[in-house]
Amino acid sequence: MAVENSGRWRGLRTAAVLLAIWEIVGRLDLVAGGALPGISEILIRLWVDWGDYPRHIWATLYASTIGFVIGNALGIGAGVIFALSPTTLRLFRGVNIAAFALPPIAIAPILVLTLSGMAPRIALAALGVYFVTMTATVIGLSQADSRATDVIRAYGGTRWDILRRVQFRGALPSILAGLRVAAPNAVLGAILAEFGGGGRWGLGAYLLGSLGRGEPDRLWGIGLVATVIAGLSYAVFALLANRTIGATRAVTLNTAVPDATPLVTHPAKQIALTLVTIALPFLVWWTFIKVTGVPDLISKTPLGVVDYIFFGPTAESAQKRLLAALAETLPITFLGMAAGLGFAFLLAISSRLFPRAIEAFMPVALVTQTMPLVALTPLLVLILGRGTTLTLWVTISVTFFPAFVTLAQGLALVPRSAEDLPRAYGAGRWTEMRMVTIPASLPYLFAATRLTVPRALLGVMIAEWLATGKGLGNLLNQSRGFLDYGMIWTVAAVSVLLSVLFYQAVVIVERRVLRRLGMATAE
Amino acid sequence: MSAPDGISLSGVCKTFRGRGKIVEALRDVTLSCPNGSFTAIIGPSGCGKSTVMRIALGLESADSGEVQIAGTVPMQAAKAGKTGVAFQDAALLPWRSVRRNIEVPLEVLGRSAATVTAHIQNMINLVGLKGYENALPGELSGGMRQRVAIARALVTHPQILFMDEPFGALDQILRRQMNLELQRIWTETGSTALLVTHGIDEAVFLADRVVVMHANPGRIVDVIDIGFDRPRAPALFSDTAFHKVCDHIAEVLHGG
Repeated sequence: MAVENSGRWRGLRTAAVLLAIWEIVGRLDLVAGGALPGISEILIRLWVDWGDYPRHIWATLYASTIGFVIGNALGIGAGVIFALSPTTLRLFRGVNIAAFALPPIAIAPILVLTLSGMAPRIALAALGVYFVTMTATVIGLSQADSRATDVIRAYGGTRWDILRRVQFRGALPSILAGLRVAAPNAVLGAILAEFGGGGRWGLGAYLLGSLGRGEPDRLWGIGLVATVIAGLSYAVFALLANRTIGATRAVTLNTAVPDATPLVTHPAKQIALTLVTIALPFLVWWTFIKVTGVPDLISKTPLGVVDYIFFGPTAESAQKRLLAALAETLPITFLGMAAGLGFAFLLAISSRLFPRAIEAFMPVALVTQTMPLVALTPLLVLILGRGTTLTLWVTISVTFFPAFVTLAQGLALVPRSAEDLPRAYGAGRWTEMRMVTIPASLPYLFAATRLTVPRALLGVMIAEWLATGKGLGNLLNQSRGFLDYGMIWTVAAVSVLLSVLFYQAVVIVERRVLRRLGMATAE
Repeated sequence: MSAPDGISLSGVCKTFRGRGKIVEALRDVTLSCPNGSFTAIIGPSGCGKSTVMRIALGLESADSGEVQIAGTVPMQAAKAGKTGVAFQDAALLPWRSVRRNIEVPLEVLGRSAATVTAHIQNMINLVGLKGYENALPGELSGGMRQRVAIARALVTHPQILFMDEPFGALDQILRRQMNLELQRIWTETGSTALLVTHGIDEAVFLADRVVVMHANPGRIVDVIDIGFDRPRAPALFSDTAFHKVCDHIAEVLHGG
């Protein structure tokens, strides 16, 4: 108890020190000529502007709450089906990766074209929630204690008995942990849709609308409110999860080997399975258009996009613009991602060297996990201007924090004894790090890379859309202005495709490397 | 016509295939346990002793051979509530209290737990957990959890009681205590018991017959009758005759 308390105090102290530095730096206008106001100035402005807030907050809350509910219903439902049928899980792999990897900003304009009113915001919020909850459900259900399952089966219990008595309840902590992460995601999704979709109300719309007026204190106030809402939504589910996990933590280690599901072994069947897996996302796209019933002129099916970019009357110019945009977007995406991951990796492995410093930093990093970081890009515009530096910093900041948290938490799982062993033979810290810490961190480095691939692209596109006027993000925004529907769909499809391809590439490298090293993939 | 044997396996073979490896887990295993007898299976890890039990329980199916539990196929016996089972690890549901964990088999079998509350209380008393009815598994010691598992195995009045290394995770002292209690409980219920274990002394102390298995392929190499009078007292553990039997089994185990 005492240790926990002292940790909490240290966290508070760190927070207090950071706030004090912020206040001083802000009051003295040290950052970009007052782009970062002091915390007191921001709060005062918030108080003055308060009359504007309720409608904006309500709009964002409304979209994110409904999106949260729909996304979770879909996520849990799909998770249950996937956990029961590995074949279905395999078939939907393409759809699931796309749902995880697609940059929300890229499809925001599409949703605005095809849906109306609040629906685009709700859809994007739901999308942000779906993947997290679905994964948590599948993992939770399939991690059911196989011994407890045996007990039920030994008394002639059916599949349903097992699901009801062991799996659902056992999956609850995992699902709740999923909801905890999903809640701020819903808020972020709604705000991104507000960026990409226009509309008068909503914190995203408010932020965008205030960007041109050069009032840093107001922008920061809006950012603060958005952050608090996202943080609170996280806190609610964190509390709920804590309540139930207490009684549910397994008391012993599961020593039984989990049953491997018999996979399809026939090569022809395997090829068919892969083809359907790849085709399914496109089928979903096509179905979506048919269901919404938007005219062909505005909505493009997969074939429509191919037609536009290769065979249409403007195909040549479209290709040229697309390639130019890609040439601007891709290098900076890789650069930002590499830098973010690199910083995170260095910081995480050095936690063994400077445990106290990292311990103090960890709460800050954890708090950023609940912040709608990309949504705060307008604030960075104030500080960094509209150049390439901005894009780079947005990308680094959205990749660094999740990567650091993944790595640091993964490294915390390395058993103490593994580290004590080299030390017992008199190894120094560097030897210990080389022999244990760095190899042990590899699975988490890959997990972090997988996690950050889509975020990096999202970060770059948002910066381009809102500020720099370059690359894919800008092309998307421009096409929206020119009503160039073909290009809107093309950019959306290309960015989703790129994200999925990067992701798959990381997965393939990860499997190869980790298999050679005899390590398991970290989730 | 006499009643069918409690447990009867004849010519059971089982092969596992996985990751390019083929493991012959059981080859031609024939074993029958008369009603009311106590049989212990002992053998090195990987000899298939747990597989024998899982097949008898209907959790795995045999590739060939015949399995009868109380005269029917295993799953049917299970659904009729004729069997009880305790696994190596207590395998309790962490979110259910002691009492609610003991009720699990009744719920699965579709019997009402409300009408037999007195019987459930008896089971709790029998395994010495009176006063812990509402405790959660996380609040119990390893030995107490294992006793909950035993009570759970007994709650359906099983004719046949399966135990897969039920005390494997306990220390030697606790294990002795639990052996004594198990003997008492088994005597009171009069069921046919099959115990899978890797403790020679535990097997000899508890069983009427000890079945010795060898690995690669998993097979029965010897069945040794244990003739000590019942009830057996703790003093038996230090008896020379007892040690002689144990040494003999150790020899058979190591291929002597």
